[in-house]
Amino acid sequence: MSETPTSADSFSGRDAFKRRGFRILGIGLQDVIRYFFGGNASLAIVLIILICFFLGREGIMFFPAHHEGLGSYRQAGQEFVDYMGEEIDAHTKFYSAANIAYFAEVNESSAIEDAQIATARAVLANVETITRKSWNLLERKIEEEVGLAKKVAGLAEGSPEIPEVQQMLETRRSEIEKLRVTLRAEVEAALESPDAWSTGGSDRGVGLTNIEKIREAVLFEAFPKAKEEHPFLLELKAASKTKKADTAARLIAFKTTLTEIQSAVKPLRTLHGELRKHATENRAVINSFKSAPQRRAALLAGAENVDDPAEKAKLQAEADEVVITEPDLVAMNAPLYAAVSKYAEVSLPLKAEMERLLQALPSTVSTESARENLDRSRSAYGSFKGVQKANRDRIPSWRHDLPVSWIKSFSAFLFGKQWITNSSWHDFYGLLPLLTGSLMISVIALIVAVPFSIAAAIYVNQLAPRREQEIVKPAIEFIGAIPSVVLGFFGILVLGEMLREVSQVEWLSWVPGFPMAERLTILNAGLLLAFMAVPTIFTLTEDALENVPSAFAENSFAMGASRLQTVFRVVLPTAASGLIAAVLLGFGRIIGETMVVLLVAGNKIKIPDFSEGFGVVTQPTHTMTGIIAQELGEVDGGSLHWRALFIVGMVLFVIALLVNYAAQQALKRFQKV
Amino acid sequence: MKTSMSEQEKQEEVLTPETKTANQPVTRENTHDLVIDVDNVSFGYVPGKDVLRDITMNINRGEVTAFIGPSGCGKSTLLRCFNRMNDLIPTAGISKGEIRILGTDIHAPEVDVIELRKHVGMVFQKYNPFPKSIYENVAFGLRIQGINGKQALDQAVEESLRYAGLWEEVKDRLNASGLGLSGGQQQRLCIARAIAVRPKIVLMDEPCSALDPISTAIIEELITKLRSEFTIVIVTHNMQQAARVSDRTAFFYLGNLIEMDRTTTMFSNPSKKQTEDYISGRFG
Ligand SMILES: Nc1ncnc2c1ncn2[C@@H]1O[C@H](COP(=O)(O)OP(=O)(O)O)[C@@H](O)[C@H]1O
Ligand SMILES: [Mg+2]
Repeated sequence: MSETPTSADSFSGRDAFKRRGFRILGIGLQDVIRYFFGGNASLAIVLIILICFFLGREGIMFFPAHHEGLGSYRQAGQEFVDYMGEEIDAHTKFYSAANIAYFAEVNESSAIEDAQIATARAVLANVETITRKSWNLLERKIEEEVGLAKKVAGLAEGSPEIPEVQQMLETRRSEIEKLRVTLRAEVEAALESPDAWSTGGSDRGVGLTNIEKIREAVLFEAFPKAKEEHPFLLELKAASKTKKADTAARLIAFKTTLTEIQSAVKPLRTLHGELRKHATENRAVINSFKSAPQRRAALLAGAENVDDPAEKAKLQAEADEVVITEPDLVAMNAPLYAAVSKYAEVSLPLKAEMERLLQALPSTVSTESARENLDRSRSAYGSFKGVQKANRDRIPSWRHDLPVSWIKSFSAFLFGKQWITNSSWHDFYGLLPLLTGSLMISVIALIVAVPFSIAAAIYVNQLAPRREQEIVKPAIEFIGAIPSVVLGFFGILVLGEMLREVSQVEWLSWVPGFPMAERLTILNAGLLLAFMAVPTIFTLTEDALENVPSAFAENSFAMGASRLQTVFRVVLPTAASGLIAAVLLGFGRIIGETMVVLLVAGNKIKIPDFSEGFGVVTQPTHTMTGIIAQELGEVDGGSLHWRALFIVGMVLFVIALLVNYAAQQALKRFQKV
Repeated sequence: MKTSMSEQEKQEEVLTPETKTANQPVTRENTHDLVIDVDNVSFGYVPGKDVLRDITMNINRGEVTAFIGPSGCGKSTLLRCFNRMNDLIPTAGISKGEIRILGTDIHAPEVDVIELRKHVGMVFQKYNPFPKSIYENVAFGLRIQGINGKQALDQAVEESLRYAGLWEEVKDRLNASGLGLSGGQQQRLCIARAIAVRPKIVLMDEPCSALDPISTAIIEELITKLRSEFTIVIVTHNMQQAARVSDRTAFFYLGNLIEMDRTTTMFSNPSKKQTEDYISGRFG
């Protein structure tokens, strides 16, 4: 404030201390600025409260609706039917693993022959690709030759054109001859090149001696483009066939057991099928009854608004026709109650039969894969027995009119293992598949991103020369500016394909989950999200390191510590809680990311199969964010499905809140240092 | 804590295995008495702008040497030359002259600055324990030298804390954070940390200027106690402090060493006018 100096005698506190500057309604410029910033800050808080409120209001209403849905599921007897369904599913798991074991055993017997045939086929395809151009040329010439020959035949004797065309025909023929020679040379050359032999898959059993034969066969088939197969391949095929047949004959007992396993469950299947049809009808009746008042109200409202009396009467009549009599649930469920005894009749023999068949499965098999699958099959038998045991209790005691507990409405959401919507049977809203998907992807992303970002931050902040800092820092921070949809594209087109190709390299086949069948997997999404999380974790870690007072480092140096010792013993421990906050906020960034997971995670709503061990990451999955983005646009506002998406959003919101809270606690501790 | 003369010699040899013979001009007599030997040194933070000019001085074994002078005259700068802390500033460097510690030019190519700092400890103006436990603070220097045996550490920690007069106060909470201590205690913890590795020389840059009078008195007492074991160089703003704790005093002014003498002589009978003015409080 610059004031004109006042002489001591004319000094007046009233003038000197008066507020100056522009004021409206007693509010000065300073106040306006303060209120502006204060207003912005409070707007953010108001917005958060509004989001909480709306998400909460729409989401919480999910539970009553879900509760009612579960009520209908029970009243219609679907629950009862699904008990049996579970038993059948468990049985199927048991059967299919054993079946895979059988085929592994059979196929293994002719594995060498099959591998050789596959190699020959692959090499043939490669050779054809390499020589494609010449082939096309040759074919065109042959076509032309045929055309010319026809023309000659068609022309009248003595026509002046004949010699000319004849001449052209001759040229073609000699060209074709030449092309044949070059092509043969090309095919031979191609056979020498490694490109032809890069068959991608396993080259098992293709010994050096066989390579010569395969080459011969390929040359035989590739060169005059033979229609018939080379005798060597035919031989192989025949050998493969007989070997398979021999093994099948040897394993006839196994095969019989499998057939018996499958037929043992047939009576239960039939019973289940009938009941299921019945329960579906029940559910339709219940649904129709529940929606009747609304439909009626809608028709009446329509009638109100129509002026034409005829139309009005018609709508009125339709409204009156809507049935709102309560369905007779006892009668509707009578067939189910009647089925209890039938179930007992079916289930007991099934149990005995399966026990016998389990013993009948071969105890020793020759291949690793068969052994693994038999083990899986045996453990699947364990869960089959568990379901059977549960069913023996819950099927007879099941009641359609038992009220569904409220806890069930929550637990069926929070711990439900299925997310099935738009189903003609019953919609299940279980969070677990989505939650595990989101968490798996986040864990992969963190495992990759955390060491990388922290190492980069340490390097940039503590070790790199200034010039390098000035390049690396903005480069890493720029990653954050890449639109996630672009990264998603990259994941689909480049990374997915690359990962799959790498996974097919033979000497990597020991890696769990390799070779992978899918391009869109947890791994792919996790890697991309790791990339997206790097700037967040890097920047925050770098900040945390930067905020470590330089006096700590100075003291450490003065103690005779080297730079690395200073970094690892003084700077990093001091910044530890800042690092934790960085990782947590990185996690927040990852779990909330939508576009990449929607594009890259494969969108398969299923709890990943953890029995594969670490290979689980090569499976596709779906996520909480992804499902909201995918389904919210397609569902009716206010429907149960719609509300289910809101409640998933709320779960995400709560996770984000907790993560942020934890990060802030960590930062608080860091600032106390 | 008693280190015999022969052991001291052994450690000198550790510091300068080859250079000792290379630096023959330093007589055996010298290496005994001159712990730091500053020979016509000029120093600048940026090339061409020296903040220290033509400094020549000796610092003797087992003495406390005080650096006094008005703010900005280069006391800290010279102190930090002794353990080459100025190396951390890229453009800084000695433009002229040589500093020898225990007979070795500390800028000689074969001198490892990390080894040098293990023998020349430092206590800073702003006490700054690491955010670790009291125990780990004291053990830090030993751990970075690869000494991790529990017994050795326990013993060194206790000895150093006793030396720093802190043992009785903290022995029951060795695992508590060093940052939980009072200011004076933290500074003594830093002294304990510095002496835990048994340096030959301890540099102290205004160690008491951030402390209250009682803590200052405790630390001054500590310094007098330490002199039997370590050679100490202390920068201070406080003339009384210099008079109380030091054997010899160097007076700096605008980057020049004006005068260096026995403290008693200096304070009773300074030979230079500037020194007299400064000591009697006429400027600075
Ligand atoms: N890091 C530095 N970079 C550049 N100049 C410095 C730096 N530290 C100190 N100086 C300058 O060096 C001179 C001596 O400073 P210093 O040794 O700290 O003085 P004292 O400790 O005697 O108060 C001062 O002019 C100061 O401005
Ligand atoms: Mg200073």
